[in-house]
Amino acid sequence: MKPQPQPKGISILPAFKIHKHGLYIFLSLLPAILLVSIFIYYPLVKGAVMAFQSYSLFDLTNIEFIGLQNFKEVISNPGFVRASVNSFYWIFFSLIFQLSIGFFVALLLKKRFKGRGVYQALVFFPWAMSGFLIGIIWRWMYNGQSGVINDLLIRMNIIDTQIPFLSEPNWAMVSVIIANIWYGITFFAIMILAALQSVPEELYEAAKIDGANKLQELLKITIPFILPTIIVTALLRVIWILNFPDLIYAMTNGGPAGSTHILSTFMLEKIIYGQDYGQAAAIGIIIILLLMVFSIFYLMATKFNKAGDF
Amino acid sequence: MNGFRKGLLLFFSMMLFIVIVAGCSDESNTEDSTEGSEGSTTDDTEDSTDETVTLRMVESLTSPARTELLNSMIATFEEENPNIKVELISPPLQSADEKIAQMLMAKEDIDVLEVRDQTVKQFSNNSFIEDLATYTSSWENWDSLNDIAKHGATAVNETPYFIPYGIYEKTLFYRKDWFEEAGLEVPETWEDLYNAAVELTDPSQNRYGYSFRGGAGSSDYVEFMTWSYVGNEIVQDDGYFTKDGEPMFATDEAKDALEMFVKSYEDASPPDSISWSYPEMVQGFTSGMTAMLIQDPEVIVTAEENMEEGTWDTAPLPKGVPSGVAQQTAGTAGWGIGAFSEHKEEAWKLISFLSSPEQNLHFAKNNSLIPVHKSAGDDPFFKEGYFSSYIEMNAKLDEYLIADRPVDYEGWGEYRGIAEQDIQSLLLGDVTVEDTLQKWTDYWNEQKEQQ
Amino acid sequence: MRKLVNWPLLAKVIFLGGFLVFSIFPLYWILITSLKPREDMFTFPLKYWPETITFENYVNIFEISNFGVYIFNSLIVATTAGLLSLVIAMLGGYVLARFRFMGKNQVIFAFFITQMIPIFIALAPLYLLMSNLELLNRLPSLFLIYTVMMIPFCTVIMKSFFERIPPSLEEAAMIDGCSRIGALFKVIFPVMLPGIAATFIFAFVQCWNELFLAIMFIDKEEAKTIPVAMNSFITKFDIDWGAMSAATVISVIPTLILFAVGQKYIVEGMTQGSIKG
Repeated sequence: MKPQPQPKGISILPAFKIHKHGLYIFLSLLPAILLVSIFIYYPLVKGAVMAFQSYSLFDLTNIEFIGLQNFKEVISNPGFVRASVNSFYWIFFSLIFQLSIGFFVALLLKKRFKGRGVYQALVFFPWAMSGFLIGIIWRWMYNGQSGVINDLLIRMNIIDTQIPFLSEPNWAMVSVIIANIWYGITFFAIMILAALQSVPEELYEAAKIDGANKLQELLKITIPFILPTIIVTALLRVIWILNFPDLIYAMTNGGPAGSTHILSTFMLEKIIYGQDYGQAAAIGIIIILLLMVFSIFYLMATKFNKAGDF
Repeated sequence: MNGFRKGLLLFFSMMLFIVIVAGCSDESNTEDSTEGSEGSTTDDTEDSTDETVTLRMVESLTSPARTELLNSMIATFEEENPNIKVELISPPLQSADEKIAQMLMAKEDIDVLEVRDQTVKQFSNNSFIEDLATYTSSWENWDSLNDIAKHGATAVNETPYFIPYGIYEKTLFYRKDWFEEAGLEVPETWEDLYNAAVELTDPSQNRYGYSFRGGAGSSDYVEFMTWSYVGNEIVQDDGYFTKDGEPMFATDEAKDALEMFVKSYEDASPPDSISWSYPEMVQGFTSGMTAMLIQDPEVIVTAEENMEEGTWDTAPLPKGVPSGVAQQTAGTAGWGIGAFSEHKEEAWKLISFLSSPEQNLHFAKNNSLIPVHKSAGDDPFFKEGYFSSYIEMNAKLDEYLIADRPVDYEGWGEYRGIAEQDIQSLLLGDVTVEDTLQKWTDYWNEQKEQQ
Repeated sequence: MRKLVNWPLLAKVIFLGGFLVFSIFPLYWILITSLKPREDMFTFPLKYWPETITFENYVNIFEISNFGVYIFNSLIVATTAGLLSLVIAMLGGYVLARFRFMGKNQVIFAFFITQMIPIFIALAPLYLLMSNLELLNRLPSLFLIYTVMMIPFCTVIMKSFFERIPPSLEEAAMIDGCSRIGALFKVIFPVMLPGIAATFIFAFVQCWNELFLAIMFIDKEEAKTIPVAMNSFITKFDIDWGAMSAATVISVIPTLILFAVGQKYIVEGMTQGSIKG
């Protein structure tokens, strides 16, 4: 990450000097740093060591360091390549639709109207459920023979034979992505709505005087103003979505024929079937590295210098 | 400012409340654990039987109904042994094995744990479980165990690592009413099954001949079909290899079997069944979508609950062609003693109680499993009715063979994952039967070399 | 002219209406399933409105399991973890927003990285750690780990909230003789209330729904949480949809109440934080 330029202006109190408040700073950050170090970084480092060991549950009595063997085996696995490609689709399409639908919803909710509060509470609902629960519910609704989605589509005469949503590879990927879109729109809608409400009214008034129409307003004022929010929210979503195996695990378990595996479900499979903690840890490290590299490029490409401000 | 102060007060009183409540639950738990450790210190001197010992028992194939059943049996045990308390740990099925592995890796003192044919090798490799030989040698019921149960108990290293509570074998469930209506005979071979299934398939009515399994666990179905087709050439205690030392997938019969497997999906099963696993198969059968199902005895209870009597029945597993035999594994699961247990004597007491002919019969009936004691064969519950197909199969062991899964090989768990993906690719038409078999042959040759 | 104005409105209504249906249909489906008697659950054709409404599924989950206990535990865990992470995040976020010091960017960077870690990689060591701390099987193990998991995100969100507030506010309070902490609570806290509420709701929902660690750390009935109980309705060859759907409906009630009460704050709160992003 490139060094963060010092924030300017009002957010720093020039009167307070470092030495004077060193203890206060230290004590305030101590609980957060201590807890995160002990309960996240310490287990992470210990767990990461397994990636370089022959750490298989089948036989834990002779665990040896085997260098990069686990990484080699993982990368040479055709399933890994497919999971990587799928991860890209999974992230890209989930994100595009979550973002665009979330954006429109936010735009339409910006103006007050009667019942807006109730409406918001209702549409925020998907966010209230756990990934595992969403997975099994959608799986149930997608069921090829007795699922409610097929039933509805047939009743509405959109299709006349059932669609094998989760048993045909292309449909399966589309289906899990739709479920994920459903789940994630809310988060974008909330963040963008909040950003929209922070756009100062004066900007719009000034634009009106200049005779700007709605579209120009949107392109010239609204979008530039909320762009930082979108950039950061999108980055955070990419990270969260890739590390979100729950939904796919519950819906297809990576199937059929590995067609819906993403990296994090591929890692789960190494633990559940292969019981190979070494290879699983190797995949975990690859995930972290990929995300780090992605974040750097992403922030560079968007010329966004507030990497830490997620 | 006033409103704010109120808010602050509320905030802190809430915090205080939480801390107190949390503190309370913390304390009560501490008491629990000190109780446990007291028990453990006094336990070393085995004669001080006044002290209460708390056993920790972990099950893995959990379901709310089975947990209730186990708890009721445990209650009887506790009544008979007032100084032993049993704490049953029932993690949800999906993550149970993962959780048990964590517990054992952390060397937790689990006293009694569920050991299955799938996990026994791993547990023994890692010295997670006790060798029960010292206990079984003086156990009056050891010789009353049937052969399959004994074989299962000692399958790894010829050491009794667990006492089975039941046997899992597959049998054919079929819609008696549909078969009668169509004038069909109950299938005896896979050819019969296929023909009947095709006949009964009518997609326009959402009716199919066979509850196919293409999702998780599908490799088990390829396995017993291949075994049945290859027949007597299989080395029974090294099940994935034939007598000339080749992997079974290299044989011509394996090709016939796999082709039949694919055909049964394409021509007689719901298209969706490519992703079906246990729940969907059973639901397909009990909801009246499919005419036949091959599954474990547990399904008997579910079918009884959800289907009308007389509409369905069970029959022995279909045979291979032309081998004329059916061959499958006899899955076993049971109770073992954790290596880090501090109350092994008491743990054995509990296991021997649960494994007594009387208690086992009760468990097997209520959990719908094949019981482990010879004497159970005389019980009308198993002799007549839906379980009779099992009795029939086990009475003709030269026609209904039993083979062992290659659980000794390190790649066994991985193979299942690979095979399940390959099977789906095969069903989707992405790969050929020949290529698939070649891949599995190579895999098992490699495993053999490593062994 | 007037007629033309209605077109965008119509489009708006259609879009919002469609989105509403899309969003809540799964909940609707679960809700009516939970009200159907067992034998109606799988009958064809599917029924979009139950012919007979029954509450047997709701009664049932309290009978077959200690559901009341689980609800209580989940409330305790999610509330405690939400509040703890909030307090810690406020302390840390304030410092990160107001001061320049060595290592500040590194701290933020380290928090950012935590979001990328797949939990499974750290599971075995974490389990051992909890075991050594003798926290297994106790609710504190859960609110401790949940708090930790929430700290990075909440701290950085809090940091951006603080950055929105002009320092002159606290300066004035400090001149009046308040200590820094006093100023923090007396002056800034009320201004930030929406942001605080939003962050709390975010953390609460995450903790309320967490499943995997709860399975790993808790064995005892007395300490189980709702997601664990619901997961056990999935058995080898059956999902108990009656119990599952009823439990789902019950489990979303607290979060929906929180949303309903706090949705004003969620958006308003995020507004404070989001100007910078």
